[in-house]
Amino acid sequence: MYTQAIDTDPTLRTSAASDDGAAEDAFLARIADDEKIEPQDWMPEAYRKTLVRQISQHAHSEVVGMLPEGGWITRAPSLKRKEILLAKVQDEGGHGLYLYAAAETLGVSREQLIDALHSGKAKYSSIFNYETKTWADIGTIGWLVDGAAIMNQVPLCRCSYGPYARAMIRICKEESFHQRQGFDIVRALCEGTPEQKAMAQESLNRWWWPTLMMFGPHDSDSTHTGQASAYGIKRISNDELRQKFVDVTVAQAEFLGLSIPDPALRWNPARGHYDFGKIDWDEFWRVVNGQGPCNEARMNDRISAFEEGRWVRDAASAHAAKHAARAVARAGALEAA
Amino acid sequence: MSDSNAKSLAPTDWPLFEVFIRSKQGLDHKHVGSLHASDAEHAIALARDVYTRRQEGVSIWVVPSKAITASDPALKNENFDPMASKIYRHPTFYDIPEEIGHM
Amino acid sequence: MSALPSQSLLLIADSCLVWGHRLSEWCGHGPQLEEDIALTNTALDVIGQARLLYQLYSSRAGNGLTEDKLAYFRGPDAFQNVAIAAVENGDYAQTVLRSLILSAWFVPLWRALAVGRDPELAAIAVEAEKAARVQRRHASDWTIRFGDGTAESRRRIEHAISTLAPWVPALLATEIDGTDRAHRENEWRAFVAEVMAEATLAAFPVNANGDHHAFEANAKQALSALLHEMQSLAREHPEAVW
Repeated sequence: MYTQAIDTDPTLRTSAASDDGAAEDAFLARIADDEKIEPQDWMPEAYRKTLVRQISQHAHSEVVGMLPEGGWITRAPSLKRKEILLAKVQDEGGHGLYLYAAAETLGVSREQLIDALHSGKAKYSSIFNYETKTWADIGTIGWLVDGAAIMNQVPLCRCSYGPYARAMIRICKEESFHQRQGFDIVRALCEGTPEQKAMAQESLNRWWWPTLMMFGPHDSDSTHTGQASAYGIKRISNDELRQKFVDVTVAQAEFLGLSIPDPALRWNPARGHYDFGKIDWDEFWRVVNGQGPCNEARMNDRISAFEEGRWVRDAASAHAAKHAARAVARAGALEAA
Repeated sequence: MSDSNAKSLAPTDWPLFEVFIRSKQGLDHKHVGSLHASDAEHAIALARDVYTRRQEGVSIWVVPSKAITASDPALKNENFDPMASKIYRHPTFYDIPEEIGHM
Repeated sequence: MSALPSQSLLLIADSCLVWGHRLSEWCGHGPQLEEDIALTNTALDVIGQARLLYQLYSSRAGNGLTEDKLAYFRGPDAFQNVAIAAVENGDYAQTVLRSLILSAWFVPLWRALAVGRDPELAAIAVEAEKAARVQRRHASDWTIRFGDGTAESRRRIEHAISTLAPWVPALLATEIDGTDRAHRENEWRAFVAEVMAEATLAAFPVNANGDHHAFEANAKQALSALLHEMQSLAREHPEAVW
């Protein structure tokens, strides 16, 4: 499960202005009262659009996120790891499914959402455009990427839109094993041969900064954090979550005997937090905008699975129609008899 | 690529089903989510794989999402607020002397 | 207690692993999200069965043998799997047809072992039979949808039948100690015949003529490639614990 606060549609910032001012006020009052909004309830168009964008982006991230790890299912170095990884990647598919279903309650179809992904209109978490070069990456993804995702997601269990909040509760429950299995892989590497330990360190070196980028741009540069938090969709800011992640992860890395690749990282007693170095936002935007190492490969994989699956889906539809028609015919024959 | 994407809007999508799971014998079926399937039996099979991967259930119902009729949320206040005044329906409305004990 | 001869144990375990590996290759690439999850469940079931059988085999063999040594450090010549388990997936029709062929073979096998004289194996077989039944249902449903679906799906399932049929005689001829081979074969034939009929397909051509040596060679090649990939990392670090 992977969320990333990417602001891809700055026009939404101002679109909250509604022709139905009173309804909008009543709506905002309900949000302020921590009331949940359900699909049939009146909602401002900007709220609906923000949700469709965020939930579908989240769903796409899950489904695209199956690919980098999926590539190691066939090479997992023990049967136990193979089984766990397979179950984990399958869970991600399930999470994508729950989220597509939540988005569908807002009046868009799954096909429209998938089409937006395949045509490049919709975004997904840019972390999945990085390559999984070694087995250690499977551990690092679980430990760091899932860890960061969980931090993003737990607050969403309280988000104002009922179907999204319920999907997130289910997802967070299932997700907790993902981070642990990742940590467990890294731990086994760190306690293993020198080559294994080096593999873990090399992997951390590659994934650390992209993971910090997962929390999205700095609050000062984030275009619709304000809107999303007024709507009760986003509860905690990008920078706050990122800081929390760094604070928690440093101790875990120390336990593993791994060093975080940031010379500026140090404890700041005045703030009560770790200070850390500057994030390369140019890299972030490059990857978001399609120039990451695997953007093209990921989309090609998704599109070909979808296109090659079309005849399968069509066959099931055709068979279901025939089956239903025969049942009607049989019932008619019984009636006539 | 854009050509093949245009095709992907063809109206062959599997319909949506709502899934209800009985988590253990003796309890009600509870709504857990939804999924797409080609027909109801297919939906049952898929619901087993999608919604009971962690032994969440012992029985599954599926209903075509289209078949559900919902109350109008705009009528929420007039539908449900009048019940608030019927406090005499609740056992706590009545004082029972302590000597009587549980009733 | 009367243990199943280790050769048979290994044959079943290897078949489960190799087949599960093939099924796992679909994860993330399935034709529909729901279906991707469903197929992966079948992969998890058979890989889980392979593990239990390898563990049983290792505990009986002693000598510090483990499930991973069996899975990762034997070459293709040592693998005992039924040949069809290693054949490449092909399209979805070929994948589900192989699942039909194998699950219809496994259901009566597990049932026989569940009441057999090897109690440790019987305990595994009781649970494995349930999973195999679900898998057989999944595979039959799809075979029927393809046979009685669209013109394309029918063409594809017919092609899958002609591709996989040559491996079936050897599968049905496989002896497993403590089970009645002819009885298992009859159940396989009866079940598959019923599915073919419901799918409006021609009877399954079990006695397909063909160059069996060529098929064997193909299967061996597919197995070698599969193991080469599966074992690559583990063999790079023979001393490692993961």
